[in-house]
Amino acid sequence: MSADGLVEVGPAEEFDDGDHALVEVGRAEVGVIKAEGEFYALRNQCPHDGGPVCKGNVQRELVGEFTGTGERVDQHYSDNCIVSCPWHGWSFELETGEHIGDDRIRVPTYDVVVEDGVVYVDSGE
Amino acid sequence: MIDASETRVVDCDWHYQDSFKEVAEYMPEPWNTKYQNSNWDDAGVKQNLSSFFPTSTGDRQNYGKVLREHSNYPDEPEEPERVREGMDFLDIDVSLQISHLILAMGGVNADDERIQAFTEAYVEYMLAEVLDPDDGVYGLAPIPYGDIDASLRILDRVEDEEAFVGACFVTAGASPPLGNRKYDPIYERCEKMDYPVVYHTGGSGLDEYVRAGYQEMIETHTLGFLESNMSQIVSVACQGVPEKYPDLDIVFMESGVTYIPGLVSRLDEEYLKRPEEAPLLDTRPSEYITDFYFGTQPLEISARNDLLELCFDMIGTDRLLYASDYPHWDFDSPSIINDLPMLDDDDRRAILAGNAMEVFGV
Repeated sequence: MSADGLVEVGPAEEFDDGDHALVEVGRAEVGVIKAEGEFYALRNQCPHDGGPVCKGNVQRELVGEFTGTGERVDQHYSDNCIVSCPWHGWSFELETGEHIGDDRIRVPTYDVVVEDGVVYVDSGE
Repeated sequence: MIDASETRVVDCDWHYQDSFKEVAEYMPEPWNTKYQNSNWDDAGVKQNLSSFFPTSTGDRQNYGKVLREHSNYPDEPEEPERVREGMDFLDIDVSLQISHLILAMGGVNADDERIQAFTEAYVEYMLAEVLDPDDGVYGLAPIPYGDIDASLRILDRVEDEEAFVGACFVTAGASPPLGNRKYDPIYERCEKMDYPVVYHTGGSGLDEYVRAGYQEMIETHTLGFLESNMSQIVSVACQGVPEKYPDLDIVFMESGVTYIPGLVSRLDEEYLKRPEEAPLLDTRPSEYITDFYFGTQPLEISARNDLLELCFDMIGTDRLLYASDYPHWDFDSPSIINDLPMLDDDDRRAILAGNAMEVFGV
């Protein structure tokens, strides 16, 4: 870790959308995920059963909307990107780390910095 | 402890022992004539036929063991004045009458209009001959939910009748299950009318509950009455009825209380793993379901007290409604609630009357 608290992850160009890389930040394992051109970092430990959440599938969140009495619920993919723990499917917003079904459940998130083509996780220290 | 005879008690589930013969007089043709010529007579109330060659496993009265002093059930149709007699016996001030015969509607497979004819006639019969708000005898309107137009007609009919205070959906046999969007217009109408929806479990199909071959009523009644409500709770919650119609009061009747913690805990586990399959929910299904109201009968008073205490705590004493189910074989008297050691007197008054007065406006 550098003096400014940044933990190096690797060259940004090596990430395709949906890719992840794991780094140690203090005592925590953190997953850095690229989704739709943006980088996100979350602790790689699902609060459900400790699964490697950051190794999971990255996709947009499927949401539904009530459009009127008697109408089928309108389901569509939102702009929100989520990652799903591969063990049981618990899913979290990449931006906030919140569980998509219950925002009281949360995976810790970290800021990601890209400097000179290199991706860093900000440890906050 | 409170003195039930000195305290207002509202019974949210009393079964009026209607007979086809009497209700048929209010049916439109051709059903009026069909019933009168059907030889059914009062057989809908009497259970002699089904007791020995069962259409539902075994005999409700356990072959003569269970007797009713303050009702004609199960031998003859009820007489309206006997309802008041039974209420006095149980120290009940207000009762909500639910049709006895309609509980079997789930067994009707024919694509005809007998359920519609029965429910419309039942409403007229009860208004003309039984219900008496001045004397504390109110009713719940049976909803022939398989026919949306007929259901809305019933709601139109009862809207301005003080004697009817809610809509009753028999959960047994409801297919598709009652969270389906097909039923939305009924829920929308009930919400606009400020009419609680009372889901009441039932015995139709009990003999072949999920699988055929059960031998005794202890098996089918334990399982079937529970499943009929559980299946609809899951459907109503997961399909977002409380999100679509947030001001709709939802009540589930006659499966006791101990199944709720198990059901919602299991459902929550599923939800956290696949929330996109219940996309209208903002949070866990349990949070919606514990906003529903639950009739207490048949309360599992032989269970460990700490289990009952947990159930009451999870559902909330502001969400429990005393129900007798009188004169059916497993009725509860108000003392079932009054004797619970974990309740204080405010809780007892709320469950025995206050919550129901708020929900039903009686």
